[in-house]
Amino acid sequence: MLGEYLPILVFLAVGFGLAVVLLGLGLLAGPRRPDAEKDSPFECGFPAFEDSRIKFDVRYYLVAILFIIFDLEIAFLFPWAIVLDTIGVFGIVAMGIFLTILIVGFIYEWKKGALEWE
Amino acid sequence: MTFEQIIFYLFSAVLVAAAVGMVTVRSPVYAALCLILSFFTSAALWLLLEAEFLGLVLVLVYVGAVMVLFLFVIMMLDLNTDPLKEGLVKHAPVGFVVAAVIAVEMILVLQSAPFQIATPLNPAPANNTEALGAILYTDYVYPFEIAAVILVVAIIAAITLTLRRRPDSRKQDISQQVQVKRADRVRLVKMKAETKEQA
Amino acid sequence: MNIVIAMPEIFLLSTICLILLLDVFLREDCRMITYLLTQVALLATALLAYGAMDGEKTTGLNGMYVRDDLAGVLKISILLLTFVVFVYARKYLKDRTIWVSEFFLLGLFAVLGMLVMVSANHLLVVYLGLELLALSMYALVAFNRDDGRSSEAAMKYFVLGAIASGLLLYGISILYGLSGKLEFAEVLTYVSSQNVLENIPLLFALVFIVAGIAFKFGAVPFHMWVPDVYQGAPTAVTMFLGSVPKVAALAMLLRVLAESMGAAQPGWAQLLLVFGLLSVFLGNLIAIAQFNLKRMLAYSTIAHMGFILLGALTGTTEGYSAALFYTITYAMMAAGGFAILILLGREGFEAETLDDLKGLNERNPWYAFIMMVFLFSMAGIPPTVGFYAKLSIIQAVMQAGYLWPAVFMVVMSVIGAYYYLRAIKMIYFDKPEQTAPIQAELDFNILISVNGVLMVLLGLFPSALMGVCSAAMVASRL
Repeated sequence: MLGEYLPILVFLAVGFGLAVVLLGLGLLAGPRRPDAEKDSPFECGFPAFEDSRIKFDVRYYLVAILFIIFDLEIAFLFPWAIVLDTIGVFGIVAMGIFLTILIVGFIYEWKKGALEWE
Repeated sequence: MTFEQIIFYLFSAVLVAAAVGMVTVRSPVYAALCLILSFFTSAALWLLLEAEFLGLVLVLVYVGAVMVLFLFVIMMLDLNTDPLKEGLVKHAPVGFVVAAVIAVEMILVLQSAPFQIATPLNPAPANNTEALGAILYTDYVYPFEIAAVILVVAIIAAITLTLRRRPDSRKQDISQQVQVKRADRVRLVKMKAETKEQA
Repeated sequence: MNIVIAMPEIFLLSTICLILLLDVFLREDCRMITYLLTQVALLATALLAYGAMDGEKTTGLNGMYVRDDLAGVLKISILLLTFVVFVYARKYLKDRTIWVSEFFLLGLFAVLGMLVMVSANHLLVVYLGLELLALSMYALVAFNRDDGRSSEAAMKYFVLGAIASGLLLYGISILYGLSGKLEFAEVLTYVSSQNVLENIPLLFALVFIVAGIAFKFGAVPFHMWVPDVYQGAPTAVTMFLGSVPKVAALAMLLRVLAESMGAAQPGWAQLLLVFGLLSVFLGNLIAIAQFNLKRMLAYSTIAHMGFILLGALTGTTEGYSAALFYTITYAMMAAGGFAILILLGREGFEAETLDDLKGLNERNPWYAFIMMVFLFSMAGIPPTVGFYAKLSIIQAVMQAGYLWPAVFMVVMSVIGAYYYLRAIKMIYFDKPEQTAPIQAELDFNILISVNGVLMVLLGLFPSALMGVCSAAMVASRL
């Protein structure tokens, strides 16, 4: 059973190896002559005006959180789809109730305007 | 040592290293990346235990969604990271004591007889996802529906705590744009043609 | 499968969904409809729960749900207390600009979580019910989002609460690893077959589970969140948090410790003894030093929770009934006490220091009298119900053979009476610092009066409620 995952393991190993080799080669073969000016942040020829971190609208996070909730919901759908033919009507009804409850939440967020980008 | 065990120890070593890195590195972005690495390696460990569904969900939900949100917050947010690290050395002894206690407890629990079984009591099902699905929507239907309610509470809580209406924002309402009638925009006024003398 | 057995929960969930849908389609100025529907839903669910009490113990939903008289009593108290708390909270929310329906919706979800906990017959269901309750509570504490203190309190509550949930879950997972079971009866079969004090992994599981439960009670040494959260949260939320969830916490204790691990009583009784005595000690002592009324009530809560834990640790029917009686009556007096705080506050002013109580008698003698009854009851002075509640706990503790803990409880109650009496002195003998009139709507006045009078009536005729409590315990074979 686990043998099926061998290609993924090989893939991981090759990916890791490639990253090490490429970065290592760059480190070894490339010329590196750092100085203070080179290492300082660069903004169109000026010294950097401000930090790149700013106060950010919480709205972005709200969208991300709402996405996570529905992402979790999707995770519940995968096993359900696989066993649907064995669990029968009961399983369909169970998932129906699950989705109905979440759809109520979805209507709430839609009507509240949480999905609108003002 | 079998090949499987070698893989197991390899991933475990990476997991422990990533977890240690997560609490010790200075930059929060590196810390988040370390956390992602530890999620990935735990997912790999679960795959080794033939719990594929859980492993994949860990990658899908935590790495794919939760950590992206984390990184997003850490990279964008206006937070000064230096004070966050100040207490690290001061609180380290307490942290080590707690970690040691938990470690000893885990060792004691895992060395006890009920956990010393060489082969699982029930053989692992051929298909983990199927085995989960077979009971999740039938035997465990009550907890399953409660989970839906918890998700709805999360939606309501997130919206209650963060959603603010902005009266001054200028947004485009497409349905209003489509519904507009000619009369709303253009007014045709009938008037006499002007001549030069009147002016 | 027997789904009908969970009728109260199903009904409440359907009503919540309906209210949620209706609310988003209502205009801003129709919030009153949401409020009224919420109250009707609570009362109707209480009726359903009452109708389901038949003196028998039935399980359903694949052994995950239990219906017995204990669940019935707990559910009815939770629902009625929430009803009263929401009436009080309406004044608070309307006076300020936070009259929004989310308070009631999140409150209803919290109630649903409590009902799930109360009727749980499976460790997983207990955990999920607890999370549903806790998640709603975190959001409610942060509810006044423009207030920095409220957000800070919510952060502390959330982080500590998450750790406590983690501890509980860790304990449950060890227990599952040992027994391979999660259903209470099956766990009990396993625990009965073991020598608890020599089975190290089982002891660890027990320690983690008791720690999780003690956190929910706010018992020492897991009490750090209580004062900060009580102080930071909006008073209406503090009132809700400080009263109703205590009933659910007791339900969790009875279900998880007494029912599924009753055979391990020698193990968890030791832990509860330490936690209970520490809570009674620290809660009463630190409360004396508090001049913030909300913090004082928070420490007094810790002391009261100590009493409940001590009552429950006896493992006898008398102890459990006394703990149940104490919890229900404490929730009533806590709700009433915070309601008076809500009365004293107004838009832009939160009554939360002891000085705000000064001269309450001159400003309004009736409210002053009711507040005195609540404080007497919390101090345990006859003829209020608090006296009888403390007495029955101490009796049960002594009968179980814990003589010195009982003596200690009496001493600490006497010390604790000091700060309640200090507050009463301020109400009656000090000059008022505030002059703003105190007024409330009719329903508020009726309920607070009934609440206050009940404290005395139950103190004079405690057997009415005590009979119900012990009958429920007997019916549930505890």
